[in-house]
Amino acid sequence: MRVLRLVGVAWWLQLKIRSRSAFDGLLSLLYPAFFATTIFMMFRQGDAAGPALLSAAVGSSAMGIWSAVSTTAAFALQTERRQGTLELLVLAPQPFALLLVPLTLSMATIGAYSMAATLLWGRLAFGIEIAIADPLIFVLSVVVTVFAIAMLGMLIAISSIRYRAAWALGSAIEMPVWLICGFLVALSDLPAWVRPLSSVLAPTWGVAAMRAAATGQSPWADLGWCLLTAAGYGLIATLVSRWMVHSARSHATLALS
Amino acid sequence: MTNLRIFFVGGLTSYRALFGWLSPWILIPTFLFTPLFQILLFVYIGRTAGVSDDRFFLIGNAVVNAAVPCLFAMGNTIGGERNAGTLPLLIASPASRVPLFLGRALPVILNGFLVAVFALVTGSLLLRVDIPPATWGGIAVAIAACSVSCTGLGLLGAAIALRVRETAVLSNIVLGILIVFAGVNVPIGAMPGWMQGVAEWLPMTHGIEATHDLAAGHRLGEVGGALLTELALGAFYALLGLGLLRWLEWESRAKATLDTA
Amino acid sequence: MSNPSSVNGSAALIAERQAAAPILAASQISTGYHGHAIVEDFDLDVHAGEIVALLGPNGAGKTTTIKMLITLLLPTAGRARVLGHDVVKESRDVRRKVGYVFGGDRGLYERLSGLDNLRYFAELYGVPPRESKQRVAELLELVGLTGREKERVEGYSRGMRQRLHIARGLLHRPEVLFLDEPSIGIDPVGARELRATVKNLVETGTTVLLTTHYMFEADELCDRIAVIAQGRIVALDTPHDLKQQVTTGTVLEIEVFGLADGLVDKVRAEPDVQSVMVDVRGQAEVLAVHARPGTDVTQTVMRHLDGSRFGRVITREPTLEDAYIELVNAA
Repeated sequence: MRVLRLVGVAWWLQLKIRSRSAFDGLLSLLYPAFFATTIFMMFRQGDAAGPALLSAAVGSSAMGIWSAVSTTAAFALQTERRQGTLELLVLAPQPFALLLVPLTLSMATIGAYSMAATLLWGRLAFGIEIAIADPLIFVLSVVVTVFAIAMLGMLIAISSIRYRAAWALGSAIEMPVWLICGFLVALSDLPAWVRPLSSVLAPTWGVAAMRAAATGQSPWADLGWCLLTAAGYGLIATLVSRWMVHSARSHATLALS
Repeated sequence: MTNLRIFFVGGLTSYRALFGWLSPWILIPTFLFTPLFQILLFVYIGRTAGVSDDRFFLIGNAVVNAAVPCLFAMGNTIGGERNAGTLPLLIASPASRVPLFLGRALPVILNGFLVAVFALVTGSLLLRVDIPPATWGGIAVAIAACSVSCTGLGLLGAAIALRVRETAVLSNIVLGILIVFAGVNVPIGAMPGWMQGVAEWLPMTHGIEATHDLAAGHRLGEVGGALLTELALGAFYALLGLGLLRWLEWESRAKATLDTA
Repeated sequence: MSNPSSVNGSAALIAERQAAAPILAASQISTGYHGHAIVEDFDLDVHAGEIVALLGPNGAGKTTTIKMLITLLLPTAGRARVLGHDVVKESRDVRRKVGYVFGGDRGLYERLSGLDNLRYFAELYGVPPRESKQRVAELLELVGLTGREKERVEGYSRGMRQRLHIARGLLHRPEVLFLDEPSIGIDPVGARELRATVKNLVETGTTVLLTTHYMFEADELCDRIAVIAQGRIVALDTPHDLKQQVTTGTVLEIEVFGLADGLVDKVRAEPDVQSVMVDVRGQAEVLAVHARPGTDVTQTVMRHLDGSRFGRVITREPTLEDAYIELVNAA
């Protein structure tokens, strides 16, 4: 219970911090909208309609969840380091991985806001009908995807405690994940060798679940896989974090100097 | 002579100082990996959307990536100088402002150019898009023009960044605007009228169109007008930027608003 | 300032404490990189209820030592135990019971209020939920931030931030408190309040290890001082005993306007002069001449200064600062 409370309180306060920042808050909301807009335009140019268009809308708005996490997760620990709070986090008598969860979860939450905003934008500017067949399941799928993406974010974040340049790698996988996880492009359209990679990425299943819920199909298998892969990331992050923090303590990369 | 020295020496030193901390771990993902994936992303989305034209998306997305270093590097120049506390030194130095800032611009322009060229070449190989070797010369010129004009916009952005603290946010928003409006993924002709109007005034728009034409076999002379417009826009934004810098400088002396610490 | 009558009292107290097991025991602890040692062979035992200072110039290795003791840095050699737990192998146990406060502007979440910062750290440091609200309020009261806690930290002055740091460090009732340059950048009033707070803490049973480069702070506050230079302890003693270690006699300070060339060397060459230092203060240069114990060099020095313009002339007993300078210079 204490663990839940810790994650809950920390998540809430991290959300406060991020929403008060132009980069984390405003940009995370706006930036995916640019991509979504150009994508909506492309689909309109291709005369897409009905389910195809809805699918594109769901996929491109969900892009926001990932970009909110991928860009900020990589920077998160670098920011803490610069603020002088990274050492205080390491000093806390908690497993470090546990402290990362609220960090990335708050980023993914902002991403969820971005998703809602983009869907609204699609409705208002492009007249895309957001006719979700099963709204409750859809929302559940979004929540699960948010959680899964947060777990993936943890993996990105943890590497930057030891390697100060790790943020660049995190930033660089923003678009590959959009592509490989089938946010907009059907997995069957991608080269065959990509499929195994897609299947181990939790967002793939989350997006599939969202799409299924939107079009009235069964999302349960997808949700199951999503949770499973997400749990896997959490486990890996926990194991890796212990090693990473130890290494950071040896090489004195917890502080700026 | 002094101006030339300031131009080259000052520019290179500042560039190195900023990017000196960049290791290959940062350079390769940011400048090589990401542009390539942007191309792939939009090529595949295009296919899904039923607007299958690999070459169109390749060219648009390759060239627009020249904007990334041009916008961010100029923004970072100013942001970095402010963070390091050397901004007042830069602004207050007796060296004439223009060669000073232009000097900082040259490495940036080169950077943008190289990124776009790399993306275009690698992308065409990966996607098996044919861009005839005869056209490469002209395409290089078009990309260079785009880099120059984007750097001009970058200078304006950098000047605004002096007041607005969030340099990165601004640069990202401008990049977003370019991706939407500059005919990167949707042909200008297919855009609503008001968007076309905005596009005319942005860097990249004319240059990207020229690149499409050149790749299709048109001669450099035919796209000359578009390229000159591109350069003129760049100069326009750069002048706006320098003007704004001068004004902000004056204002900071009058009201002590320039953040120096 | 410690007065003679309390000296004997504290000596007895120290002897008593030393009989008990140390709360903190560092043995030959070292760290460095690429063959360059930052801290070498550091040995220190701190007992319950003591205040010990690590005193040294910038770059001496004080912060590095503290970070090793609180488990932020891994030593490359040696061992340390805090409250019976090894700092490398049982780091979580150590972390539960120590507090870390450092000076400066960083270490707080700027966009959150002081209250939110404390709430966050209270959760992180395992303050029981039931106690949390009260504890935060209690500490805000203690450091004098009640009424300002809802403001964002980005608007806090350096002094306020420091006070918030102390509150943060004390949230989980640590048994040992580590203070790293706590009064840096604080005005004298704030610094005095800080020292009072530290003394109160010690009276209620907390053990304190602090680093500082302010002599008077170490002198006033601490039971023992470890003088550190270039990563090594050069002296470890009570302030009083350290002063006794100073091998110079009286110190003659003369304000000179326009020091003639070669004058300093001539004075140094005098047999009864142990050392000469020149400090620039505004228009004048202050000559600090350390005499050999038992001698008086006033006449000798004044003879050399014949013809120079000079201002104040002071003779004084050696202070802790002199001891410190001598020890550090010898290292």
